[in-house]
Amino acid sequence: VTAAPPLANPLRAGPRIARTPQPCALVIFGGTGDLAARKIVPALYNLALQRLLPAAFAVVGAARATLTDEEFRESLHADLVKYSRTKPINEDVWRSFAENVQYVSTKDGEGYETLRHTLANLDVLAGTNGNRLFYLATPPSAYGPIVDMLKEHHLTENVNARVVIEKPFGHDLSSAVELYEKLQGAFTEDEIFRIDHYLGKETVQNILVLRFANGIFEPIWNRQYVDHVQITVAESLGIEERGAYYEQAGTLRDIVQNHLLQLLALVAMEPPVAFDSKAVRDEKLKVLRAVRPIAEEDVETHVVRGQYGSGFIEGVPVRAYRDEDGVAKDSKTDTFVAVRAFIDNWRWEGTPFYLRTGKRLPKRTTEIAIQFRAAPHQVFSQDAAEGMEPNALVLRIQPDEGISLKFGAKVPVQGIRIRSVNMDFVYGASFMVDAPDAYETLILDALRGDATLFTRQDEVEQQWRFVDPIAKAWALGQGDLPIYPAGTWGPTEADLLIARDGRAWRKP
Amino acid sequence: MSVMTEIDERVWGTRADGVSALERELARLRRSLGAHAKEHGVPVARASVLNLVVFATREIHARRAAATIDELATRHPSRAIVVVTDRERDGAPPELEMHCHLPIPGGAQQVSYEQILIRARGDADQRLVSAVIPLLLPDLPVFLWWTETPPLDAPYFDELLALADRLIVDSADFARPDRTLARLHAVARAGHGRYGLTDFNWTRITPWRELTSQFFDVPAWRPFLDNIAGIRVGFAVDADGREIHPSQALLFIGWLASRLGWIATGRLAPSEAGGLLFAMRRPDGQDVLVRVRPRFMRGLEEGDLSGLRIQAERLGQHAEFVVKRAEDSSHATTLVAIGGRGIAERNVPLGKPGVSDLLGEELTIARSDAIYEEALAALVALT
Repeated sequence: VTAAPPLANPLRAGPRIARTPQPCALVIFGGTGDLAARKIVPALYNLALQRLLPAAFAVVGAARATLTDEEFRESLHADLVKYSRTKPINEDVWRSFAENVQYVSTKDGEGYETLRHTLANLDVLAGTNGNRLFYLATPPSAYGPIVDMLKEHHLTENVNARVVIEKPFGHDLSSAVELYEKLQGAFTEDEIFRIDHYLGKETVQNILVLRFANGIFEPIWNRQYVDHVQITVAESLGIEERGAYYEQAGTLRDIVQNHLLQLLALVAMEPPVAFDSKAVRDEKLKVLRAVRPIAEEDVETHVVRGQYGSGFIEGVPVRAYRDEDGVAKDSKTDTFVAVRAFIDNWRWEGTPFYLRTGKRLPKRTTEIAIQFRAAPHQVFSQDAAEGMEPNALVLRIQPDEGISLKFGAKVPVQGIRIRSVNMDFVYGASFMVDAPDAYETLILDALRGDATLFTRQDEVEQQWRFVDPIAKAWALGQGDLPIYPAGTWGPTEADLLIARDGRAWRKP
Repeated sequence: MSVMTEIDERVWGTRADGVSALERELARLRRSLGAHAKEHGVPVARASVLNLVVFATREIHARRAAATIDELATRHPSRAIVVVTDRERDGAPPELEMHCHLPIPGGAQQVSYEQILIRARGDADQRLVSAVIPLLLPDLPVFLWWTETPPLDAPYFDELLALADRLIVDSADFARPDRTLARLHAVARAGHGRYGLTDFNWTRITPWRELTSQFFDVPAWRPFLDNIAGIRVGFAVDADGREIHPSQALLFIGWLASRLGWIATGRLAPSEAGGLLFAMRRPDGQDVLVRVRPRFMRGLEEGDLSGLRIQAERLGQHAEFVVKRAEDSSHATTLVAIGGRGIAERNVPLGKPGVSDLLGEELTIARSDAIYEEALAALVALT
């Protein structure tokens, strides 16, 4: 039976005491998997180190393998030694954390019955009180069966249950809807937390702070002052061991559909009325709906794709995509995408948003550049103003997170000579603390039930609506698939895409 | 004559005569750093987020403070102004000597921060503020860190305080913390929120407050919070039990009392071996018995909390909430026992924050901490 609303805790007041979540049991499906080992368990351990876990907290690992609690804990410990961001491991804290870690094999219905008993016991003995978070750290194909079993064995009834899932959320609109319907068998939208780890990054949250905690940017954040916006998500890595997955997905689905469109939404959205899950996501959805759809027949003029060939990254020769493991020799998969997008609303009418992302680009960098219009009238002589460029505000997400503003300044000589200078705010130099890992931020939020930094189903669907026609056009063989040498900024077709408008890509 | 100790220029940088000479010297240093950085392809950002004014009467304190700020410079780039006055001032002519340099904290070349020393000789107290004001960076908050008991009656303290947005003290260094805290509280109230007051001893008990709060996040345990019958707090003393510093323990009690609406029914009464025993009254009229006890524990600074035990009775059920510092002193065990049955035992890191950790934490909070001021008020009511 659901408890009465909890009494407020009068001790939890003031700026110093961090908000810790309510007592909770966390069930990790895929507990023996890679995500649990690399991200989830290290994040939980580091939260424990910071005393951010509640006084009553338990972890239950669930997977098909048959393991004892002890074996499970030992394997987690071995992974933690490898993947924790803080080292060495504080064994006292780990032992205390591990005492509340259990393992249940969920290979059949009996396993789910065991899980139900385990959780019911924890509710009483450990004080988790019916508060439980199911983390599906499994391949998406397992989401459906797990949800069916949770429902069948009454694991989400009469308790406060939530679920965390990882991308991909489907591979197109209809599969995303299908997945949602599956989840809805046991969870309502408010109980579903979709992780886009980009949103857990400090600087991504800082976009909202920069825009909405400062009064000076918002008045010029529109078509009147902004010439265009460039968003770059560049990776120098290739696809590593993910050949099989990448062949199915490609960059369009892997990056554009989620990270890139989410960045676009944060930069372009209207001010929310509050920093809470509903207000922020309502505004993101609104702007995503205003993104002008690119019809199949327009794909060639608005979108460029590419695939990396062999080349050099940081002086080291690397192989071509088609030579990677698990990739077909004649693969048509995109590893680079550039998009020329428009947002059809009052604020942005006619302002192009150039988005590009790719693997095996010269360096790993993510940035958003707001390129302002040039000064309306040229006061200084042509010679003097030669070195002048329009103002740009650049939000760097990684690495060297920070903000820089480019403006013209007089060179200290007799007479007037103008040069562009950068005023840099290096996030790390003003607050040189280790930013928390995105997973720590997001898991803590999910435990607290705060969904602000998670993607909502209607956003996911809207993002697919934008991406689907592009994928379809490519599947029908429209548009070339130029090969770009690894270590370059993508195919020349991408340069032409932006050059047609009389503009050029930045060199981030 | 006072002992005119030479200023070590390796520590404090070049001497400059007057504020404008000092600004010129800083500009020169910045340029040479910039040139150096250009050669190595690292841009120098002059990031500043605050002014930090440190006051000391001994050079050893000043040096310690400077080392602390060095450690923090990458997290809190600042202009630090260290003011050192003479303790022995028999007839020496009053004089201010200034030095400045740009330390490169931890080799982090992308940050530049500036450190200025103002060395006062003789009775130069009334001149201090006039040297500090022109050196403050405009538009940034001013933190005033007083490294010893503040001279609450001295005009120069008032003058420096008038510049500050926050006053940072450490009641662990106060000779009579109960008296000085009470007077500081009065000063803070007289300031009408113009500046915030903070105490490293308050920062030191944050983890204890956090762990205590976490107990009562558990819905099943929350009702006990309104039914606390007794509380025991232990604090560390040295082996022979002479150094008695109960400020952290008292601040903790003051915090609970102010959050839970307990009122003082009497004054602090001494009990055995330097401890205190007294009662407070809950809003429902029931008494809470408070016992504060000194305890020798290896590896702890005098005054640090060693453990606490909260006892509550509700509907005939007895509950205990315990936080106990572990032998290694950097962890704590927390334990809940309901009806005599122990549940939810865990081991959490407590850390042993050094002065730089404490100062770093304080510098992130730019406004006054109402919770602290309320805790202090509750504590003052007991003295």
